[in-house]
Formats: sequence, structure tokens, C-alpha cells
Amino acid sequence: MKQTLILFMQDEPGVLNRIASLVRRRNFNIDSIVAGRTEKNGITRMTLVVNEPNKAKRKTIYNNLKKLVDVYDVVDASNENCHIREHALVKVSIKPGDFKEIEDLVAKGNCRVLDHEPELMILELSGNEVTVEESIGFLKKFKILELLRSGKMAMISGNQKKNRPVLVRSEPK
Amino acid sequence: MSKVKLTGAEIIWECLIREGVNVVFGYPGGAILPTYDALGKYSDKVHHVLTRHEQGATHMADGYARSSGKVGVAMATSGPGAANMVTGLATAMMDSIPIVCITGQVPRPAIGSDAFQEMDISGAVIPVTKHSYLVMEIENLARTIKEAFAIARSGRPGPVLVDIPKDLQAEEFDFIYPEEPILLPGENPVISDIDLNSLEQAASLISESKRPVILAGHGILLSGASKEVIELSEKGNIPSSWTLLGSGAVPASHHLNMGMMGMHGEFAANNAIQKADLLIACGMRFDDRVTGNTKTYSLESKKIHIEIDPSEINKNVPVDVALVGDLKLILSKLIPLLKKRQNSSWTDKIEDWRKESQSRDIINMNTEMLYGAQVISDIWKETNGDAIVVSDVGQHQMLEAQYYKHDEPNTLLTSGGLGTMGFSLPAAIGASFSNRDKDIWVIVGDGSIQMTITELATAVQENANIKIAIINNGYLGMVRQWQQLFYDSRYSETPISSPDYVKLSEAYGMKGFRVKSRTEISDTMKEAQNIKGPVLIEFVVEQHDMVYPMVAAGADLDEMISRPVHEQFKDAEM
Repeated sequence: MKQTLILFMQDEPGVLNRIASLVRRRNFNIDSIVAGRTEKNGITRMTLVVNEPNKAKRKTIYNNLKKLVDVYDVVDASNENCHIREHALVKVSIKPGDFKEIEDLVAKGNCRVLDHEPELMILELSGNEVTVEESIGFLKKFKILELLRSGKMAMISGNQKKNRPVLVRSEPK
Repeated sequence: MSKVKLTGAEIIWECLIREGVNVVFGYPGGAILPTYDALGKYSDKVHHVLTRHEQGATHMADGYARSSGKVGVAMATSGPGAANMVTGLATAMMDSIPIVCITGQVPRPAIGSDAFQEMDISGAVIPVTKHSYLVMEIENLARTIKEAFAIARSGRPGPVLVDIPKDLQAEEFDFIYPEEPILLPGENPVISDIDLNSLEQAASLISESKRPVILAGHGILLSGASKEVIELSEKGNIPSSWTLLGSGAVPASHHLNMGMMGMHGEFAANNAIQKADLLIACGMRFDDRVTGNTKTYSLESKKIHIEIDPSEINKNVPVDVALVGDLKLILSKLIPLLKKRQNSSWTDKIEDWRKESQSRDIINMNTEMLYGAQVISDIWKETNGDAIVVSDVGQHQMLEAQYYKHDEPNTLLTSGGLGTMGFSLPAAIGASFSNRDKDIWVIVGDGSIQMTITELATAVQENANIKIAIINNGYLGMVRQWQQLFYDSRYSETPISSPDYVKLSEAYGMKGFRVKSRTEISDTMKEAQNIKGPVLIEFVVEQHDMVYPMVAAGADLDEMISRPVHEQFKDAEM
């Protein structure tokens, strides 16, 4: 089962290094990592998706991430009602007549055409984890020349207190 | 506060002094030169100990911290100097010891250019520190050092490294010491309000239990909670057993103390843990060396885990009630919820187990050769049990744990988690700076001493009051023991030669003794103790002895290998 964690951390050099080091040394099985700036200056937000079926181990992962000095807070979104979005760019080799099938995919709303040349197309896929996976699965019938995925971003619905991160600095005890 | 223009180097010393530092263990070099140049101005306030290797500096800072409860400080140059600190940082990390390492870095414009002696040490030590810094602006220097100390001592203590470029050490800046409190994003996971519900649950589990056991860990020493743990033990008539680093947390002579648990733990303690219906784990982390096979570990017991670090809960062993926070505080709230009680059938059973194992004890036997266990037991007697003992890693370390009975907390310093050979000599030198009046005994093997033997020069130079007992069996004994038990006695690369330790001591300018029989021990020790300063005693012991009892790695905790009754002992006096 996948565990979706949202991390709020200090925007400082080396902070990604610390997360990556922790993930490797504790042997977490990572599905994806995405990080970027936020509405707050100096705070980087990361969505970390981990493959971990064991409930106790999931809690350990959470607590270990929270222990890092640079990390303000960690919110476990796994059991929350949340939007998960992923982006993918796909370069496919096409033959005349293939375009019709790809147009169907575009019509479903999960795919945009970025380049359309006689023998290849670059497509932009976006959506939740299911739709991106399905679209890639569909495109496998063509020859995929290049594929890249952004990893998953998560945002929890609503504005419940328990899901709001603690972004206050506190005194070490 | 008025502004003073100081160099980065001067700011470093000013900050260290304000953190209460009066001794620094270090080794100079190119990138830390400005800081050593400024040391002269502060030499009345800070004593610098020149070590012979940077690893030694980190272990000295560690030994100083373990014996004093203060933060230990080590200093080194960039590149190789800093890299030599990694073992010491990892040792301190595994055992939750607060040390701060300050390293020089190549000048800022050269960073990233593979400059001479450049290495990304703040990146390299991420896995073995609580936190690490590379200071890139002089205005952040004082604050960073203050943060480093705060992080090192807070919550579950641990090591911090601060890397400071050479040009920044020389830069001038208006120094204002940051008086305001340190505020950090997420450093401190200590929960100060204890969950009342869990507290009541724990209290009722204790009250209902028939066969409870306290597991006494290092957290008791770090929290200063010995008194509370003893109170818990006495109030509930609960027997206790300790982890290696929890030695001394409960006095060894306490009637409810069963001794060490785990791989080389007491027969009674391991049996009691396996048969218990309740374990109360106090500041310990269910390390594989104490649990044996976790699948069969104490299956009949409910478990209460009192621990400061939430990431330790349910990590190795699932528990029923977790109390996260400072042990002393939690116990002070838990104990009033308990009623005084007697439970003699459980403690009687444990007493029977204890008697059973005593009959095989080597220290009660007359043997032709000297045995390591006999040496340690005699050291214990000769020092009246109140020395600070610094043990290294190997058979002698386990024998020390079994035969030196520590009644006071913080009197055994040893590398438990990482098992760092070479730890003891430098750590003892470090400890001698916080315990000028106490006897400090190093108990070390012939393998371990040779890993950091260079620090004998430091001991002589500082006239450190340490007594070094080398238990020489001519082997890397613990590895040899495993080879004998699990690798069909193929002693691959475990026989190890030694220098003549008596001559070596003389060469270093200190007194050395050699002891070959048990009758010489007492007199030699008395002679050694009369000398102020470092003394070395080599004890030549039986080569093929093993540490018993033993639980093989991954075996069930009560599946213990006991000392066989050898032919040679059959007629001996028991």
C-alpha cells in the first residue's frame, strides 16, 4: 500500500540531500518525490510517496522524517480525502492513421498535444495516479520514444485543523 | 550589548566559551589555521588537547561527554582531518552522545573546485549526525554554533558538525552574541504533555501483571532517572535487567537487579524476559543484541515503552502502550498511580535461575592460566567498584559488563551501538578531563588497543590519570569465538601479534607492567594506582576462552549456550 506524505521544510541548501539520505539509509521504498516552493517564503513543500504495506513501519517513516532538524512538519495524507496529481510527457512514434486513436485520448481530457509531426507526437498527460497510468498504458500500443513523469503532488481537501502543518519554529528542549 | 569587531576564528572561541566549553580535543591543519592562531588569546579559558589522530579527538569528546553530561568538543581541519572524524561521529550518533565537531573548510571561492584537502564533510556526515552545517556567511556563524550545541543536547542527544571555511575564519565582523533563544523548525520531537490515557493504561498493566520485568536502558542515564527507576522497581517489586549502555542505571548490587540482558546477558535475566507477562522498557530501543529473534521475543508479555524518540516506538518490537517523552518526567507521574506490592513467587523463581548459572562461573575456579573474567573481577574488587571504567569492543567488553559491578550511573563508558574498536583509550583520556579525582580504568583487548594506540602519546603529554588494562589473548577474541562456534574453528586472520607493551610504555614515557598469574594482580594494581598519570598493565590470559553465556545472533533469547564444564575444571575447587 502506498503512503502519501506531505513535508514542509526549510528552503535551505542540502535539505533534499537530507531527505534522500534518510530514505536510503532507512531503506524506504520510494515511489516518487516532488518538491517545490510554496505560498510561504522560505518553505519548501514535498510530496513523498512510499510503498510500505506495514502499518508500524509507515509510522516509523513518518517519525523519522519529522526528526530532521530542517523539517517543520509532516502530514500523512494516506487516509485523507486528497487530490493527487501527476504530470507526464511522452514522445511517441506514430504512423498515418494513428492520430485518430490519440484524439480519443485527448477528448477524454487527460492529454494535450504539444508537438504533432508526421512521424512523432509529444503528448502531455496529467491527472490522478490512475488516469496517468491508464493513459501511459494506452500509449504503449505505439512506440514510446521517450517518457518522463513528474512524480505525484498531493493536496488535502478542505481546511481541517489536523491537516494543517505546524510552521512555527520552536525551542529545543 | 556593545559591538566588537572580531574575526570568525575569535567568534568561534567566544561562542565555545559561552557554551561552557573549557577543553577542546583537536588537531590543527591548513583550513583551520586561523582558528588555531586565535586560540592563544583564549588559552586561559580553554585547554586544547593535541590528539594524535582526529578519530581520537572525537572519541575523547565523546568520553568527556559521557562522563560529565556536558557537550564534548572536537576540532579538525578539512578533508582528511574531517574524514577521520566520521567514525567518532557515528559512534556518538548510535549511542546518543552530545558532541560538537568543528572543522575547517577550504576558502569559500574554492568550494566545489576539488581544492587541496577539500571534502564535502557536512554532506558526508548527514547519516551519522543529528545535524550538520556549512557556514557560508559570517553573520550566521555565532548563531550556528549556538544552534549546534542546542541540537546536540536537546531531546535525544547526538553529534553535530559545523564546517567553517578558512576565509570566513579570517573575516572580521561585528560580534554580537545571540542572546535570544534558539528556535528551530522541527528539531525537537519531545512531547512534554504526557497522554493521561496512556499513563493510566500503563499503570493498570503494571498493577495487573504477575511476572513484570523492567528493561533499563541508556535513556535512564541521559534523563537522570535512576532514582525513579529504582523507585518503580521497589514499589512494584519488579525485577530489572539492563542493556549494555544502561549499566549502572540501577545499582548492580540492588536485590531486584538481575544483571545484563541479551546476547551475553545473564541466564536469569534472559529467562525472565522470555517468561514475563509485562515488560517495562525504559529508555532503550530493543536492539538486536538484546532481543535475539524478535519473532519469539517475550511472546507472553504486554509491553510498555517509555522513550523520548517517537521513531523508536514499534521499530523492532511492537508495544502495547507507548509513553513518549522524558523518562524522568513520565516516571514521576506514573509511580504515584501504582500501589506498593509484593510478588514473591516471581522473584523466587528468578532467584532459582540465578543460582543455577553461578555454578559454572569461571571466576570461582582455580585455573592454571589466567582468565579474562578473573582479571576483570579482580579489578572490580581492587577498585572497590567505584572506578570509571572505559571498555573497548570485544570479549573483554562483555566480560567487563558481566564482572565489573557498576553501582553508579555513568561509570561505564563503552561504544555499544556502533561497536567501535579503538574507542576506549581516547574516550578515557576525554573522561579524565571531567573526572580529575576519580580512578579511570581502560579495559581493552590486544586488538582494540592497537587501533588507537597512538593516543598513548596524548595520555602521557596530558598526564591523564588513566590505568590501561590490556586483556591480551593473542586473538581478535570475539571474532575468533564466532569462528569457533559458527565457522568450524577456521581462525581466518584472527590470531594477532602485539608489540612488547612494557617496552612500548617505556618508549612513550610511561610505566608498563605485565601480569601472567592471578596472584600478581592485586600488588600490580596497587603499584599502578599509586602512580598519578597513565599506567599500562598487560594481562596475558588464556587464548581460547569464550564469553558465556551466549545467544547466537538471531536465536531465541532463552536459547543460551552455557560454559561447558571442562575436564580441567572437574577436579578443581568450586
